[in-house]
Amino acid sequence: MASARLSTLTQASSQLLRRQAERWLFRLKETEPGEVFLTRRRVFILPTGAGVGFGALVLVLLVASTNYNLGLGFALTFALAACAVVDMYYTYRNLVHLHLRPGRAHPLFAGEDAQFELTIINRSASARYALWADFASVDTARYVTDVMAGSDAALLLSAPSSERGWLAAPRVKLSTRFPLGLFVAWSYWQPDARALVYPFPEPSAPPLPMGGTASEDGHGTAGQDDFGGIRSYQPGDPLRHMAWRQIARLDPALGGQLVTKHFEGGNVAELVLDFAALPPTLDLELRLSRMTRWVLDAEQRALPYGFHIGAARFAPSVGAAHQAACLRALALYQDSGAVRP
Amino acid sequence: MKRSADQQAPHPAAALPQGRLARLQLTLSRDKSDTLLLLAATVLVLAPHALHLPLWVTLLCATTLAWRALITFRGTRMPPTLLLLPLAIAAMGGILLTFKTLLGREAGVAMVVLLVTFKLLEMHARRDLFVVIYLCFFVLLTNFFYSQSIGMGAMMCAAVVALLTAQLSFQYSGAVPPLLRRLGLAARTLALAAPLAVALFLLFPRVQGPLWGMPGDAGAGRTGLSNSMAPGNIASLAESSEIAFRVKFQGQRPAQSQLYWRGVVLSEFDGRTWTQPPRRDWRATADTLVTHGQPVNYQVTLEPHREQWLFALDMPTARPRMPNMGSWMTGSMELRAGIGIERRVRYDAQSHPSYTLDGGATLPRRERWLALPGGFNPVATSAGLQLRSEPDPAKRVNAVLAMFRRDGFSYTMQPPLLAANTVDDFLYRTKAGFCEHYASAFVFLMRAAGVPARVVTGYQGGEHNPVDDFVTVRQSDAHAWAEVWLGQRGWVRVDPTAAIAPERIERNLQQALPDQYDLPGMEGMISLGERNPWLARLRFQLSAFSNGWDQWVLSYDQQRRSSVLEGVKDALGNWRTAGAIAALCLLLAAAGALQRRRRQDPVEALYGALGTILGRHGMTRGPGEGPNAWAARVAGSTLAASKKEAALRFLQLYSAHKYGPDASAPGLVSTLKKLLNGTR
Repeated sequence: MASARLSTLTQASSQLLRRQAERWLFRLKETEPGEVFLTRRRVFILPTGAGVGFGALVLVLLVASTNYNLGLGFALTFALAACAVVDMYYTYRNLVHLHLRPGRAHPLFAGEDAQFELTIINRSASARYALWADFASVDTARYVTDVMAGSDAALLLSAPSSERGWLAAPRVKLSTRFPLGLFVAWSYWQPDARALVYPFPEPSAPPLPMGGTASEDGHGTAGQDDFGGIRSYQPGDPLRHMAWRQIARLDPALGGQLVTKHFEGGNVAELVLDFAALPPTLDLELRLSRMTRWVLDAEQRALPYGFHIGAARFAPSVGAAHQAACLRALALYQDSGAVRP
Repeated sequence: MKRSADQQAPHPAAALPQGRLARLQLTLSRDKSDTLLLLAATVLVLAPHALHLPLWVTLLCATTLAWRALITFRGTRMPPTLLLLPLAIAAMGGILLTFKTLLGREAGVAMVVLLVTFKLLEMHARRDLFVVIYLCFFVLLTNFFYSQSIGMGAMMCAAVVALLTAQLSFQYSGAVPPLLRRLGLAARTLALAAPLAVALFLLFPRVQGPLWGMPGDAGAGRTGLSNSMAPGNIASLAESSEIAFRVKFQGQRPAQSQLYWRGVVLSEFDGRTWTQPPRRDWRATADTLVTHGQPVNYQVTLEPHREQWLFALDMPTARPRMPNMGSWMTGSMELRAGIGIERRVRYDAQSHPSYTLDGGATLPRRERWLALPGGFNPVATSAGLQLRSEPDPAKRVNAVLAMFRRDGFSYTMQPPLLAANTVDDFLYRTKAGFCEHYASAFVFLMRAAGVPARVVTGYQGGEHNPVDDFVTVRQSDAHAWAEVWLGQRGWVRVDPTAAIAPERIERNLQQALPDQYDLPGMEGMISLGERNPWLARLRFQLSAFSNGWDQWVLSYDQQRRSSVLEGVKDALGNWRTAGAIAALCLLLAAAGALQRRRRQDPVEALYGALGTILGRHGMTRGPGEGPNAWAARVAGSTLAASKKEAALRFLQLYSAHKYGPDASAPGLVSTLKKLLNGTR
């Protein structure tokens, strides 16, 4: 037991040490606002496996030239060695003096992939080829692009999300092996970008808490008098109750379905999604998930809904802005405000 | 940077999250041209080997390459390893059968060539591509075993560019520029590498090879002087225009007729062939040399001839310093290297054209230089005995030379065959011969007449190139002459050929021979050159270039490297040169910095400076914050009034310049500069 703890401790400390060493060696920085310029101090370069092989080749050529006293062989050997040096310079130049700019990242639901936009701007006079980009934690880069002289290129880097709240863009590694592949030059960048992750909508949530008593037993009484919003079409719904205007707005390709106008009895109160009304015995995240699902359901049915969570109290409304505000409140509920990398 | 609406949209294909898939599709569409380029580069590297490889290897390689090209064109699958492996093993067996070994240079080259071609059929991953290209570089080097001519050097440059192009073509992942642009990039890489390569070539320490025993087949057959002389030996050598050695004189060049390059001294005669004295006698005699006048200093670059002798002008005064092999001098004033000359060597030598060798009343081991085989050449022997009536040995020499001049002797490269008594047959029947006939007959007569005499073989003359001031001595300059011992005057050189064909000594062999005996292979060059001065000039230029190639590329060694280093030290050692170079570097760096600054938009630079200044007051421009939003924030801040006003005005002007419809106002930069100072 104790030894296991010790080993985890040493593991953790060695990891910490390694991270510190990397920080110092590669000058890893915290997030840098705005556009970032890749100065020569930010570009690192090392020979690739092919480069090491090339070194071995040059050595073999040198030995053969010496043994057989080949003047022209020496010329070839030194020309190739010098070409490797030139390639090192070209590889470095292919990466240095680029400008990097983070773009917007759209909100997403937990479990989806966040799409971080990254713009590479080339204000120099030479085209940059075969620039590989990905998050530093990924082993083999997935994205590649060319940036012509005086032009820019945008990449969408996707990172998985797991929990609600702010998701900061992970550290990005930009690398290139162009032109000969003997050297790899790379650069790290912590973009100042974050994506808002909404809670995961509960897949099989109870129906919307429709006012007053209905919320207690989970059933509403269908009436004929007051328009109470729309709901999914159910076989048997009268044709004159079809919500044609909403049907026209929904795209069947995006999972749109027939909806029916929903009339309720005269005594139904307005729909209020109150976080405090959920049983506190439920897990916090589950409650947030349920609230998320209800917000989405209410939006789908175009039911105006009020929304209460903690200090946030939104008056009944419906629409994209209202939904975004509610989901944002859910995402950031009791969030310390720290941004997870 | 102004951004306009029609600015290029981001690359849609590259931005796809399925980057790997996109890359795969791009590689497939490009694969054909890239592979064909690689094939072309391989053919360029392999082609020169066709000259010396066994025919079946050449044919097999050609078939394999054609097969690979067909696969590429038709886009079919590569052959499976199960098919390739037996093929490769069969090829190895073929090499074993042909060369009787798998080791050694020739067999090794054949194997590497086959390996490259088979590897082309077994290319699956990117790593295989690198393997093929690296193998090609190695095959390129093996070409130099057979030829290191200037043409081969040019071919090397072309092959390196082609291989680099193939290598970099595989590195593109999106847009691929046209072939010409890629070739240009590879050529630019090589051109940029050239200065560094030259510096490495000149300064990299050279270890004198071989590192391990050279395989027996390393040196091809060479022509050159042999250690014996029989009638016809030198005449056959004279047909070769191969270079024997090159000489660079320091200071005055001696007259053409003085250029006797001493090689081998022959003393033993068996009636037909002259040979060297027994080896134990080489160092035995203690010859005394007295020199007069000024020495001649020169450097000889000797082509490999597999023998030990070195050549020096009559009369060398000291043995040359030979790196890694040592050297010594025999009693007959011949220079010898410690080991056979297997590669081009360079040595400094000193000679005195005016000398007295072994002058005195007596000659040690006199009988050696008088020995004659018994029973041969009775007529010549009796003629020599008759000469003894003349008391002065010098007059006996002149009598024989006068006989050569008088009695209808002629100089020819194709003398008639001689019978067993070679000297008698030549002197009294054929009367036509080359230098060795005259030298042989003369020494025989002298010995018969009681004058110590010996045959010396070597080279005479050489062609002076006015372009690089080198004297080139070819095999066709091979010559044989005689030395006689004349008491107080010591050993005196006598060239009987000069008595028959003085032009041979004054100019060169070509003029000495009648027209019908043009030297094969040289007639076009020399006779044309003699007639047309422009062509002669061109020929000298080419020859000087070829000599420079030999001197600086092919036989650049540790010795030459240290002399280059000394030259560099001399040139850079004084502070004036070093200071000039440092000043030049500084100037270049300053110019570069200035250009870099100029390239940046001055307005943007000032905008950046404003950001730094306002940042000190806690108003860093936020990401994506425009000048107007920033200005609003500045306006609401607690900045001092004058500073705030300047900053706001700056931002207003900047905004108008950047996003306004009109062209920027004149003097904007200076106004902004003033406002910027106001915010400080």
